[in-house]
Amino acid sequence: MSQGIDLQDSFIQLLVQLGLPTGVAKALWLPLPMTLMLIGATVSIFVTVWLERKISAAAQQRIGPEYAGPLGTLQAAADGVKLLFKEDIVPAQADTILFTVGPAIVVIPVFFSLLIVPFGQNMVITDLGIGIFLWVAMSSITPIGLLMSGYSSNNKYSLLGGLRAAAQSISYEIPLALSVLAIVMMSNSLSTIDIVQQQSGYGILGWNIWRQPVGFLIFWISALAECERLPFDLPEAEEELVAGYQTEYTGMKFGLFYVGSYVNLVLSALIFSILYLGGWEFPVSVDWLASLLGISDTTPWLQVVTASIGIMMTVVKAYLLVFLAVLLRWTVPRVRIDQLLDLGWKFLLPVSLVNLLVTAGLKIAFPIAFGG
Amino acid sequence: MLNFLKQVGDYARESVQAAKYIGQGLSVTFDHMKRRPITVQYPYEKLILSERYRGRIHFEFDKCIACEVCVRVCPINLPVVDWAFDKSSKKKTLRHYSIDFGVCIFCGNCVEYCPTNCLSMTEEYELAAYDRHELNYDNVAMGRLPYKVTQDPMVTPLRELAYLPKGVMDPHELPAGSRRAGKLPQEILAENQPKHGNADQN
Repeated sequence: MSQGIDLQDSFIQLLVQLGLPTGVAKALWLPLPMTLMLIGATVSIFVTVWLERKISAAAQQRIGPEYAGPLGTLQAAADGVKLLFKEDIVPAQADTILFTVGPAIVVIPVFFSLLIVPFGQNMVITDLGIGIFLWVAMSSITPIGLLMSGYSSNNKYSLLGGLRAAAQSISYEIPLALSVLAIVMMSNSLSTIDIVQQQSGYGILGWNIWRQPVGFLIFWISALAECERLPFDLPEAEEELVAGYQTEYTGMKFGLFYVGSYVNLVLSALIFSILYLGGWEFPVSVDWLASLLGISDTTPWLQVVTASIGIMMTVVKAYLLVFLAVLLRWTVPRVRIDQLLDLGWKFLLPVSLVNLLVTAGLKIAFPIAFGG
Repeated sequence: MLNFLKQVGDYARESVQAAKYIGQGLSVTFDHMKRRPITVQYPYEKLILSERYRGRIHFEFDKCIACEVCVRVCPINLPVVDWAFDKSSKKKTLRHYSIDFGVCIFCGNCVEYCPTNCLSMTEEYELAAYDRHELNYDNVAMGRLPYKVTQDPMVTPLRELAYLPKGVMDPHELPAGSRRAGKLPQEILAENQPKHGNADQN
C-alpha cells in the first residue's frame, strides 16, 4: 500500500531545513488545514444552496435562480447578506442567554466533526483513534442546542419544534450508531482513514456498500433524519409548526441554523461516502492501474494525480448524495411524528441490530471478505 | 414460531414494496428534471389570457340605466349606484357608479345579468395598491381599458399551455435548452402571412 502524498511531512521538513525547530514548524502547520477546511465548508454551503435551488427547480419544471451571478450562483451570497443586515430581535419574554447560545451549539459540533473527514491518505486534519465516533458523539450535541433554542423562545411552536427535534435525534442516533458499528467491526478500527483503507484495492467492488446492503440504507435514512431533511423535517414543518424552533429567530442567528443545516447535509454525505462508497477511492483502483502501467508508487507526479483524484472523488460522491437528498425531498411526503418514531424504534432499530449480528456472523464465517 | 416467521415475512414484503414505490416516485421526479421549464418570466413575459378570463370589471357609463340589477345579483351587494330621478324626462339619471375591487370576488354575476351590457370583464389582474381604498374604483377608473399584453412593447406575450395544439406540449425527447412550449404570436403571424409566389395563384 502506497503512502501517498504527505504535505504535512514535506512542510515540516522544509521549515526544519530553513532552521526552525520541529515544534515551531508543527505549530505553523496546524492552522493551515483547519483554515482550508473552514473555507471548504463555507464554499460547500454556497454550492449546496445553489444545487438545492436548481435541482428543486428542475424537479418542478422551473428555472430557479437566474439573475444573482452567472446561473444564479451568487443567490446564497445575496441571502447571506440579507440575513446579515437584518435586525437581530430577541423576543421580550425569551431567555436571552439560551436564545443566543442555542444556534451556536447547533453549528459548532457540525464544523467540529469536519476534523475527521479524510480526503486522501494523509489529507485529514487529524486521524483520531476514536475517529468516526467523534462524529456520532458530536451529532448528539446538536439536539441540545435545538431544544435550548426552542425552549428559550417562549413560543409554543418553538417548544414543540425543539421537543420534536430532540425526540427525532435521539431515536435515529441509535440505528445510525449501530450501522456505523457494523462498518467498524469489519474494519477493526474506528479511524476514518482505516475504514477507507479497508475498502481499497479492488476498486468499486471493494466498497462497503456491497458488504452492507442493509446497513447503508439504514444509515442514509438515519442521516436524513439527523439532518432534518424532508421527509423527516417535521421539527420545522411549516404547515404545523410555522418554522419549529426557528420561529422566533431572525438575522444571523437564523442564518446560523441555515448554515448548520447545509454543512450538516454535506458532512453526512461525506461520512456516507467514506463509510460506504470507499471515500477517496476511484471506481478503478489507481494503484492497480499504476502498477499495470509500470509506474512506481513514489513518482511525484503520480502522487499529485492520486491526491487530486482522491479529493475529487470524495467531493463528487458527497454531492451525488446531496443530489439524491434533494430529489428525495421532492419525492417523498413528510412523515407524521408517530410514523417517524415508529420507523425509528420499531423498524430501523431491530433491523440494524440484526444487521450487526449478521455482520458479526459473516465476519467469523468469511474472515477474508468481511475483515477477519 | 411459524406464525412469527410469517409475520416477519409479511413485514419484509411490505418494506420491499414501500421501497419499490419510493423508487417509482424517484423516477418520476427524475424524469421531470429532463423536461423543459414552464416558467413565465413574469414582468418581462406575460400570458395571453383566455377570452373568458374574469379580471377587473369594465363599466360604460352612458349605457347604464341605473336599474341596480348588478347590486341585487351581487353576493354582497357591492356595486354602489348613485342615481337621481329626473322629473322632466321621468327617467333615472346615473350620477356615480363604483365597485370596490378589494372586496369584489370577480364572480361575474353583475356582468351576466346587466340588461344593457354596460358591465364587462377585462384581462386586467395587476391590482396591487399601497392602500386598499385605492381599489375602490369609480366610474372613471372602471371606464379605462387595460393595456393588452400583445401590444405592450416591454412584454413578451406567451400563450397559455392549455391553448396549444396536441403534441406541442410533449415534454420528452427534446433537445437540451428547449424553450417553453408554444409559438410566440408574432411567429404565428409570420407563418400565416401568404408567401409572394403563392399569393397570386390563390
